[in-house]
Amino acid sequence: MAFSLGDTFDSLVATQGALPMREKCAPEALDDTSLVLAARDGDRAAFGRLYDRYARMVHGVLLARVPVDEVDDLVQDVFLIALRRLSTLRENDRFGAWLGAIARNLANDYYRHSSPQQQLEEEMSVQKIEAVNSGGDQQCSAVAILDTIRTLSETYRETLILRLVEGMTGPEIAARTGMTTGSVRVNLHRGMQQLRAALRSRARNDSPQQESQ
Amino acid sequence: MTRDREKDQTPNESVAGHDDYLWDGSGEPDPEMQRLEGILGRFRHTRPAPVFPNVAPARGWTSFPWRMRLSPALPISVAVVAILAAPVFVYQRKSVPAAVAGWDVSRVAGAPRVERRIIDDAQTSRLAVGQVLETDQQSRARLHAEDIGQIEIEPSTRLRVLSVAPGLERIALDRGMIHTYIWAPPGRFVVDTPSAVTVDLGCAYTLQVDDSGAGLVRTSMGWVGFKLNGRESFIPSGAACATRPKLGPGTPYSEEASPEFRAALARLDFEDSTSQQSSEDLAIVLGAARKGDALTLWHLLSRVSEDQRVLVFDRLQEFVPAPAGVMKEGVLRLDQRMLDLWWKALGFDDISVWRRWELSWSGAAPAGTK
Repeated sequence: MAFSLGDTFDSLVATQGALPMREKCAPEALDDTSLVLAARDGDRAAFGRLYDRYARMVHGVLLARVPVDEVDDLVQDVFLIALRRLSTLRENDRFGAWLGAIARNLANDYYRHSSPQQQLEEEMSVQKIEAVNSGGDQQCSAVAILDTIRTLSETYRETLILRLVEGMTGPEIAARTGMTTGSVRVNLHRGMQQLRAALRSRARNDSPQQESQ
Repeated sequence: MTRDREKDQTPNESVAGHDDYLWDGSGEPDPEMQRLEGILGRFRHTRPAPVFPNVAPARGWTSFPWRMRLSPALPISVAVVAILAAPVFVYQRKSVPAAVAGWDVSRVAGAPRVERRIIDDAQTSRLAVGQVLETDQQSRARLHAEDIGQIEIEPSTRLRVLSVAPGLERIALDRGMIHTYIWAPPGRFVVDTPSAVTVDLGCAYTLQVDDSGAGLVRTSMGWVGFKLNGRESFIPSGAACATRPKLGPGTPYSEEASPEFRAALARLDFEDSTSQQSSEDLAIVLGAARKGDALTLWHLLSRVSEDQRVLVFDRLQEFVPAPAGVMKEGVLRLDQRMLDLWWKALGFDDISVWRRWELSWSGAAPAGTK
């Protein structure tokens, strides 16, 4: 089948998000390097420290992409893959960026291996859990806000989730993901602007429905 | 690094002074953000570290038992085994040429093929140098190399492995789409397309080639270099760049650039315009440019005529002032060192990685035959 990229490129560019660039973080890179080297030599405690250091980042990356109730298991999968492949990591000070790439890859795999029906069932099961757990408006709000963040472009949703859900500061996000501090700042700034606008728009749309009920 | 200096490094955005709370939780609290943090905190990661399995460390020669190293019987045993195994080794090399080195191939969906053989779930296949991997409209596949990275192959794609030499992995994408996740050091993974050579300088990107040989790269992490016949483009994360056969890479642009900006840029890059049309398109690009388009303006410096270069210089200067050591006169005569300094001031990765790669590898011509 012949196809042309002309319009396809624009639509592709418009529909897919992008992630900021990486940056080495010198002071922490030394610590990471020694932990990675120790973990590579079989030191499980060292790998456990890497887990403690990076689990929130991996969790946030996954939460931006897959159903909530799948995230914890996938976090463990990411670290297990990383542990098995640690010997292949050549730039030890880029452990965070490498781990993030594994997490994004695993999230992509999750959807490639799920049928549309499975995806629907998974989303519905999440909603069911939310409904069972919901003790008030705040529970519903949490799901609604997370959904709204997930409608933003990939560039912003990942950074916003790391900040708002995982409670990481901008410098922490930069250090863990390998992004430049400038990119993180821009993502937070623009992402927050877009989130505020999206939440206002959602509130406006919800209001007439509530009134009519 | 102090926080003030970090603020100064912000490449694309003028940041309001009151967003300290958004940045690191300091400063005057933002009530809306506090509300969001409180509500969303329930999704936060709390699970403690699991018990990880023991993974045997890689054993080097120094970790071998001392006695085994010095055993007088060892050299004799090795010699005997070598003599006995030699005929088998020679036979296998003749019967399975180049079958060892390459990428592991696995099926993701449908019936991808390596040469004429359909890949199934029952066995892991190997894609060796010279072999072709093809997916039809329903098929997807995955390539994996432990020390290089992983490549997802979309439907209707055809690719070949050109080289698996240490330090340089090279494949050719004849058509279709791939998503690459590369953990090898920058400059080690190269993809030839009919209209440009793509050099990985970072972690993750998507590359697409249509039946005419036109291509598009979109970088999602790190950065990518595009090169053909001396024309080169650097595409950092959040940016994209098109290529055309015979013309090579176009000018990279931010994915947030306006449609008007992109359309005029595409005409500048790929249409056979008169000088007047070209000037008009450049005026549109410069007029519609925003701070985030500094990437594009930097590339345009070396692509426009000398007269137009002055205009591009002035516009880029408005967004990102030329740093110390960069003079207008030098930029107008395309002084490489000054251009590289300005690139660094845009806030992107160190361009010396690319310069070193260019010096160390001269095989920049794309794969010509399919």
